[in-house]
Amino acid sequence: MTDLFRLVGTGGVIAYRALFNWTTPAMFVGTLLVGPLFQLLFFAYLGRQLGVADDRFYIVGNAVLAASLACVFGGTMAVSNERRFGTLGHVLLSPRSRTAIFLGRALPYAGNGLLIAVTTLGAAAFLLGLRIPGSALPALLLTLAVAALSCGFFGLALGALGLRFRDVWLVSNVSVALLLLLTGVNVPAAELPAGMRLAGQFLPITHAAEAARRLAAGDGLSAAAAPLVAEAAVGLAYAVLAAALLKLFEAESRRHASLDTL
Amino acid sequence: MSEYAIEASGLRRTYRSRTGWLRPQRREVQAVRGVDLTVGNGELFGLLGPNGAGKTTTIKLLNTLLIPTAGTARICGFDVVGQTREVRRRIGYVFGGDRGLYDRLSARDNLRYFAELYGVPGREQKRRIAELLELVRLTGRENERVESYSRGMRQRLHIARGLLHRPRVLFLDEPSIGVDPVAARELRQTVAELAATGTTVLLTTHYMAEADELCGRIAVIAGGRIQALGTPAELRHHADGRRVLEVEAYGVTDDRLAVIHALPGVREASLEVVGAAQVLAVQSDARVDVQADVLRALDGVRLGRVTARQPTLEDAYVAIVNRVDGRRAAEAVPA
Amino acid sequence: MIAVGALLHAKQLSRSPFEIATALIVPVVQATLAVYLFRAGGEPGRMLEAAVGAGLMGVWSSVLFGSGGAIQNQRWLGTLEMIMLAPRPPALVILPITLATALTGTYAMAATLLWGRLLYGIPLDFADPVAFAVAVPGCVVGLGMFGLLLASTFVLLRNANALTNTLEYPIWLVSGMLVPITVLPGWTGPIAAVLPTTWGARAVREAATGSGAVWPSLGVCLAISIGCLAAGALMMTYVERRARAAATLALA
Repeated sequence: MTDLFRLVGTGGVIAYRALFNWTTPAMFVGTLLVGPLFQLLFFAYLGRQLGVADDRFYIVGNAVLAASLACVFGGTMAVSNERRFGTLGHVLLSPRSRTAIFLGRALPYAGNGLLIAVTTLGAAAFLLGLRIPGSALPALLLTLAVAALSCGFFGLALGALGLRFRDVWLVSNVSVALLLLLTGVNVPAAELPAGMRLAGQFLPITHAAEAARRLAAGDGLSAAAAPLVAEAAVGLAYAVLAAALLKLFEAESRRHASLDTL
Repeated sequence: MSEYAIEASGLRRTYRSRTGWLRPQRREVQAVRGVDLTVGNGELFGLLGPNGAGKTTTIKLLNTLLIPTAGTARICGFDVVGQTREVRRRIGYVFGGDRGLYDRLSARDNLRYFAELYGVPGREQKRRIAELLELVRLTGRENERVESYSRGMRQRLHIARGLLHRPRVLFLDEPSIGVDPVAARELRQTVAELAATGTTVLLTTHYMAEADELCGRIAVIAGGRIQALGTPAELRHHADGRRVLEVEAYGVTDDRLAVIHALPGVREASLEVVGAAQVLAVQSDARVDVQADVLRALDGVRLGRVTARQPTLEDAYVAIVNRVDGRRAAEAVPA
Repeated sequence: MIAVGALLHAKQLSRSPFEIATALIVPVVQATLAVYLFRAGGEPGRMLEAAVGAGLMGVWSSVLFGSGGAIQNQRWLGTLEMIMLAPRPPALVILPITLATALTGTYAMAATLLWGRLLYGIPLDFADPVAFAVAVPGCVVGLGMFGLLLASTFVLLRNANALTNTLEYPIWLVSGMLVPITVLPGWTGPIAAVLPTTWGARAVREAATGSGAVWPSLGVCLAISIGCLAAGALMMTYVERRARAAATLALA
C-alpha cells in the first residue's frame, strides 16, 4: 500500500518536474500567475462596461477558471511529452498499474492549479475591491481544490488523446477556449443556448464556479454542496475516462504499433 | 524456473499502414517472418543484421511492447502476450541513441522515477541507484541535468536504468550506436561484466567486432528471418573455402561492380567508402585466383593497395546477408 | 524580397493544420463568447463591433505567438544560424515571418465575420466598406511590423515564451479591442496611446461602425509601426553582433 502511495506521490512529483514545460520561474509567473489575472481583468472590465453581471460574478468565476490552465496544459504535457523525450516505451514496460502511474501525474498539476486559483482570486479581489466573507474561505478553498482536481483529470484525458492523435496542442488550445465559453464563467449560463449549456454541464469548472459564487455571496456550504458534488462527479468521470483511454491506446499500440514507443 | 531465458517460435509481425487520405492505400510490411530462437539462462546472445532486418521489431515482440501477428514467445517461461506483468518484472530494455531520458531531470531523478515505475522497493532504491551510478561510472555527475550529458554518458545512464530492478533478461538494442570508440570499449566491458554475473543478455548491433568479442552465440537476421545461427567460429564457416581480395580504388561505378560480380569464381563483391577512397572487397572460391580478372575489370580506374586475406566474421556476415538480398531480388522478378 | 518571403511563410503556416485550426477555431469561439456577452448586455446594435473585435483579437494572438514562436522555431529547426549567415540584413529575413503571421491572422477576422453572419445573422453593413477593406490590411501590416520588434526582443530573452503567453490578454484589454479604453483606469491611457494595436483596432472599428474618421487612426497606427520596424531592425543588427560575440545564437 505504501508502495502505491510512493508511486502516485513521489512518482507524480518527479514526473511533474520532468514533463512540465513551464516550471522555470519566468514561465511560471508569466504564464500561470500573471496571465490568468489579466484574463480576469479583461472579462471583469468587459462585464462592467456591458453591465452583464457584477464584479463578483467575474472575479470568482474567472478565478476558478484560472485553475484550469495549468491543469489542461499540464495534463497534456504529462502524457504527450513522453513522445518528445522518447520515454514512452520505458514507461510502458513498467509492470505496475498504469492507472496509478498516470493518475498520480495529475495530482501535482491540480495542486498547481489550486495555487493559481487562490493567487488570482486574492490579487483580483484586492485590485478590484471585492470583499468575500471570511467565514466562506475554508469552503471556497475546498471548492477550488475540487475544481483543480477535476481539471487535472480532464487534462489527463486530453493528454491521453494527444498520445494517439498528433496535434495535441490544438486539442488543448481549443479546450481552453471552450472552457471559457461553455462553463458559464463569463457568459451567464442563462444567456447561452440550451445545447451549449448542456455541454457545459459535462465540463469541469461549470459546477465549481457555481458553488464558488454561492459561497462568495455568503450563502454557506449547504447551498454550495450540490454543485460541489456535481463537480467532483465530473472530475471522477474524467479520471475514469483518462484511465480507460490510456489502457485502450496501450493495448491498441501493442497490436498495431500505433504509438511511438521508441 | 524455466530452462530457457528466451524462447520464441514462429514469431511473425506484420505492420499495416495506410497512406493517402482521400484514397487510402493499404500497405503491408512483413517485418518479422517467422523467427525461432532459444536463449539459455546467462547466455550473451547476439542478434546481427542490416538496417530494417527486423531486429528492433523482434526485440519489441519479446519485451511485450508489440503483440506478434503469429507465433509465441516466452521470457523465463512467461508468455509475452498474456503474462505481461510477470515478463516485465524480469526484463530490462536499453536502446541506443540519445532519446529516452527526461532531459530536465538529473541522472539520479531519472533513476528514481524509473525505480518507482519498475517496482524497486522504497528502502532499497537509494542503495541500488548509488550502486548502479558506480557501475556505469556516473558517480559525481549524478546531480547534473541529463541535457548536459554527452552521448556516451546518456548511453551508460540508459544501461543503469535498464538494470534498476535486477532484470534476469536484458535487451540491448544497438547500445553502441554513435558512441566514440573509447566509450564503446567501456560499454562492452560493462556488458561482459553483466553477463558474467548471470544476467541473460540479448544484444543487437551492427558492429561485427562487438558481436565477435562479446557474444557466445550469434543469430544473423535479414529479411525478417534468421539466416544463420551459431557461435562466432561456426558463423565464420559460412565464408569457408573463400579468399578475400581487397582493392583500394577511386571511382568504381555500379556497372563495374556488376561486371566483377559476374566474373567466374567470384561469390561476393561489395564496395565501401573509406575516407576519400573506396574499398572493393571481392570474395572468391579459395581455389580460383580472381585477382588478374578483377584488376582487368578495373582497367582505367585509379587503384591503391591490393591485398589478399583470409575471411573474417564480417565477410561471413556479408556472405549471409547478400545471399538473402540475392534471393529477394529473384523473388521480385515476375514469374 | 519581403513579399516573396511573407507569402512563402504564410504558405508554410497555412499547411500546418495546427496553425490553421488555431487561427480559425479559437477566434470563432471567442467571437461566440463576445456575441453572447453583448447580447446579454442588451446591446444588439453592437454585434458587428463584437465580431470585428474578436477578429482583431485573433490577429493579435496570431502575431504574438507567431513572432514569439518565429525565433524559437528557427532555433529548434537549427535554421537560425543559416538565416543569420544570409547576406541580408537580419531584419529583412525576420520581417516576412512576422508579416506572414499577421496575414494568417486575417483568417481569424474572416472567420469571425463569416461565423457571425451565418450563425447569428449579424448584418455586415460596414459604415465605410472601402475604408474597412483598407483598414484591415493596414492594421495587419502594422501589427506585422510591430511583431518584428517583439521577435527581435524575444531573441534576447531566453524565456520569450513566458512573455508571449502573458501578453495576449493585456494587449486585448489595453488597446480596446473589445472593451472601450474609456472604462479602464486612467493610467493605462498613455500605454494605449503608444501601442500600434490601439490605433489599428480603432481604425478598423471606426470603419466598421462609422464612429469616427478612419484615416487619422490608421495613419497613426502605421507611423508607430514603422517606428517599431526601425527599432526592430536596429535591435536585430545589435542582437546579431552580440550573438556572434557571445556565441548565443544556437542556444535555445
